[in-house]
Amino acid sequence: MRLKITGLLLMLCWATAAMAASPVTAAPPEAVSVAVIAPPSDIKAVDTPNDAGHAITVSWQASPDEAQKLIEGYEVLRSEISDGEFVKAGYVPYGFTSFDDQDVPANGKDYFYRVRAVGRESQALSAVSNPARASEQWFNTLRINALISCILFTIIVMIFIARARSGQSLFIRRIAGLAAVEEAVGRATEMGRPILYVPGISTIADVATIAALNILGQVAKKTAEYDTPLLVPNKDPVVFTVAQEIVKEAYNEIGRPDAYNHDSVFYLTDSQMGFASGVDGIMAREKPATNFFLGMFYAESLILAETGAETGAIQIAGTDAIHQLPFFITACDYTLIGEELYAASAYLSREPMLLGTLKGQDWSKAIIVLLLIIGLAASLINPGIRVIILQMLRVG
Amino acid sequence: MKRQIPLIIVLTLGIFFFIQFFVPSQISTNIYQTTLQWTLVISAFAIVLAIGSLVNHHMLKIKRRKPHWWNSIVTLVALVVMALLGIFGRVKGLEPLGELYRKLFHYVQSPMDQAMFAILAFYMASAAYRAFRARSQEAALLLISGFIVMLGVIPFGSMIWSKIPDIAEWIMMVPNMAAKRGILFGVGLGMTATSLKIILGIERSWLGGGGK
Amino acid sequence: MKILENLTKINRRYIFLLVALAVIIPLIVPMKLPTIPGKYTVKLYGFIDKIPPQSQPILIAADYSPSMMPELQPMLEAVIRHCFAKGIRVVIMTLDPNGAALSEEALKKIAPEYGAVNGRDYAFLGFKPGSSIVMMSIGENFRQAFPTDFYGTPLDSLPMMNGIRNYADVPLVLSIAGSAITQGWIAYAHTRYHANVGAGCTAVSTADYYPFLQAGQLVGLLNGMKGASEYEYLNKKNGYSSAAPVATKGMNAVSIVHLLLMLFIILGNIGYLVTRHNQSKK
Repeated sequence: MRLKITGLLLMLCWATAAMAASPVTAAPPEAVSVAVIAPPSDIKAVDTPNDAGHAITVSWQASPDEAQKLIEGYEVLRSEISDGEFVKAGYVPYGFTSFDDQDVPANGKDYFYRVRAVGRESQALSAVSNPARASEQWFNTLRINALISCILFTIIVMIFIARARSGQSLFIRRIAGLAAVEEAVGRATEMGRPILYVPGISTIADVATIAALNILGQVAKKTAEYDTPLLVPNKDPVVFTVAQEIVKEAYNEIGRPDAYNHDSVFYLTDSQMGFASGVDGIMAREKPATNFFLGMFYAESLILAETGAETGAIQIAGTDAIHQLPFFITACDYTLIGEELYAASAYLSREPMLLGTLKGQDWSKAIIVLLLIIGLAASLINPGIRVIILQMLRVG
Repeated sequence: MKRQIPLIIVLTLGIFFFIQFFVPSQISTNIYQTTLQWTLVISAFAIVLAIGSLVNHHMLKIKRRKPHWWNSIVTLVALVVMALLGIFGRVKGLEPLGELYRKLFHYVQSPMDQAMFAILAFYMASAAYRAFRARSQEAALLLISGFIVMLGVIPFGSMIWSKIPDIAEWIMMVPNMAAKRGILFGVGLGMTATSLKIILGIERSWLGGGGK
Repeated sequence: MKILENLTKINRRYIFLLVALAVIIPLIVPMKLPTIPGKYTVKLYGFIDKIPPQSQPILIAADYSPSMMPELQPMLEAVIRHCFAKGIRVVIMTLDPNGAALSEEALKKIAPEYGAVNGRDYAFLGFKPGSSIVMMSIGENFRQAFPTDFYGTPLDSLPMMNGIRNYADVPLVLSIAGSAITQGWIAYAHTRYHANVGAGCTAVSTADYYPFLQAGQLVGLLNGMKGASEYEYLNKKNGYSSAAPVATKGMNAVSIVHLLLMLFIILGNIGYLVTRHNQSKK
C-alpha cells in the first residue's frame, strides 16, 4: 500500500514537474569503469510523504542488464548541486527501484541524486535526477483509515451513551465470572479469609492492566463494605503505585478509610518466576478464599492457577493473552475471555454510561463481521477486490 | 478538585496523543519521544516506592512474628546483598565482588527461575487430567483435536498414520487461528473502548469512583 | 466399578511422580524411539546438504539466551556438525547479548571433532546490538556490521571471508531464535536482500512460522526439540555425526511425557463416563 501510494505520488509529482517544464538536468550517462552494464534510467526524486522531514524518495528504472543477472545492486548518491560532488546516501540490492534517503541534511533545500548500478566487475552511473526538497508533513495520509474508524467508533459509542442516559434500558448478557464476584467476596467474608487480587504481570502501558485496575476498584469497594482483608501483590513498580492509590480511594469512597490497610497492596519482585513463586507462597500460607487473576499473564498463568486450585479457593481469571486462556479455563472456576475483561468494569458498576459503551462495542463488532462477510464474498468473486480491501485496511 | 485535576490531565493528554498519532511532523515526534523519556523517569521513582513497600512489608512480618517470618529475613538479606554486590562490583579494585554477583546470579537465581518454570510441566499434566473431560459434544470434539495435535508432535503420531502431523498442522493453522483472530477482534475493540472511556472521563474506577 | 470411578480422583502427587519419572528415565536409560523427520526439517537439511563444500559459507544467527538453550542449542550443534562433516563453511553471529557465549561454546566443542579451523572453515563474529540495523548493514557488507570477528581479527584477514561481501555471497541465512527476531531476518535478509532464509524456533512459537513456510519465505524450519532431534537423526543416518544425540534424548522424554498425559486424560475420561453412567442408572 505504502509503496503503491508512494508510487502514485511519485507519478503525480513527475507529471507536475513535467508540465511545469522544470529543468531536469540531463547529463549524459557516464560509464565509470568497464562499460559492460547499462546504468539505471529515469531517476526521479520527491519528498518522502507522511514524515517528519529530512527524507527524499529516489526512484529509477532498473538497468536493462538486470534481466541478465549482471546487476548486484544500486548505490544512491546525493549532491547539493547538479554537477557537484556526489556522496553515497545508500545501497539497495537488485530488484529494488526506489530508495528512501532518510539522512537528508536540511529541509527546504534542493538536492540532486544519481544512481550507480553495481555489477560484479563494472559499474555504471546514471544521469542526474530532478531537484527535490525534503519537508515535514502535518497529517499522515496513510492513517486516514484509522482516523475514520476511530471517529465512527466514537460516534457509535456516543449514540449508545446518550440512549443509556435518556433512561433506555440496555440488555447485557450474563457473564458468569462477573456475576460470581459478589458471591466470591461474600464467601471470603464468611470464611474469614482474605481475597487475593493479582492485576497481571505487565506494565501500565498494557490496556489489559488498566482494565484489571478498574476491576480492582470495584472489588476493593466490596471488600471495604464487608471488611474483608485484601491482598494485592504486584510485579511492576508503576502498577503497584497506581493499585495502591485505587484501593485507598475505594475505601474512602465507601466511607471506610479506617479499614484500609496500607500494606494490603505491596510489591513483590520484577522477576517473572520469582513473582510466581511469591504469589504461590502467599496462596499456600494465607489460603485466600478467592483468587482474582486479571490482566496480562504469560507462562506463569498455570503455575498460579493450579496452586490456587489446590488451596481450594474460588478462582476468577481474565486475560486477553490468548495463549494463556486455555490454562486459566482448565484451572479456574470462571474465566473472562478477551473482551469480557474489558466489559467487567461496566458490568460490575451497572453504570448506564459504561453499559452504553458496551453496546457501542457490540455494534462495531457487528459492522466488522459484516465487512468480513462482504470482503470474503467479494474476494471469492474477484481476487482483485481482495487486494483493494487489504490496501484500504492497512495503516501506515 | 482532587478528582478533577487527574481527569483534566487524562483528557488533555489523551486527546493530544490521539492527534499526535496522525501528525508526523518533527515537533510532534519530538514531543512523543520526550514523553517516552518522562515515563522512564517516573518508573525510576516508582521503583523507589516499590522497594520501600517490599522492605516495609517484610519488616512488619518480622516485627509481628507472622507465620514463616524468617523467610522475610532471607528476602531482606538477599535484597541488600545483591544490591551492594551489583553496585560495588563495578568499582575498580573490587572486581571479585562483581564476580560473586555473577556467580550468585548464575548458580542461585537462574536455577531457581528455571526450577519454577519447570514446574509448569507437572501442572500441565495435572490440569489436563482434571479438566480434559468429554462433558459435552463440544468438549469431546476439543478432546479429539487436542489428542491429534499432541500425537502430531511426537513420533508415535507418524507411526500410527503418516498423515497425523499434517492434520495436526491443519488444526493449528485453520480452526485454531480462526478462533484466535475472532477473540482478537473483541480484544481490539475492548481496548479501544476502555481507552476512550478513560480519556473522556466516563470510566473513573481508577480514581476509586466506580464511574460515578 | 468403584475402581473405575476412582480414576477421576487420582491424587496429583502420583501424577507429578510419574511425570518426573517419564522425564528422568528416558534421559538416563537409552531408548530407541523411532525418529521420523518432518517435511520442513527434511527441506532445510536437503538445502544445506546441496551446498558445495569449501565454497561460500552459510550464515547462522544464533539469537537466543540460556533460557531457550535446551531446545535451540542442539539445533545449532546439529547444523554445525552437518556443515563441518560436509566441508561447508559457517559464519556464526548473534543478536542476543547472552547468545555469544552459547554459540562460542558450541563451536569450541565441535570444531576439534572435525578438525575445523577458525578463519578457514568457520568464522565467529560474536554479538552486535541493534537487530534490524545489523541485518540491514550486512545487506551492504559484513564488514560494516562486524569490522572484526569476535576475537578482534579483521574480517579481511580471515581466508574464508575473502570475497564474501553480503547476503549475495551466502547461500543460506539460518536464524535460530526463540523470539520474533526470525521475522526480522525474513523481512530484511529475505524480502529486502533476496537471501534464502531458514529458521529454527522453540516449539511454542512454531505456529507463527507456518504462514512464512507456506508463502515460501522460509526454505525450511526446525520445530523445537523435535526438529533438533530429526536433524540429529539425519546427520547420524548419513554418517555425519557420531556425537551423543542430545535432542533425541530430550525428545524421548518429551514423547513419553506426551503419552503419559494422553494416558491420564483417557483414564480420567473412562472414570468420568463410568461415573456418569452409574449416576444416570440411579
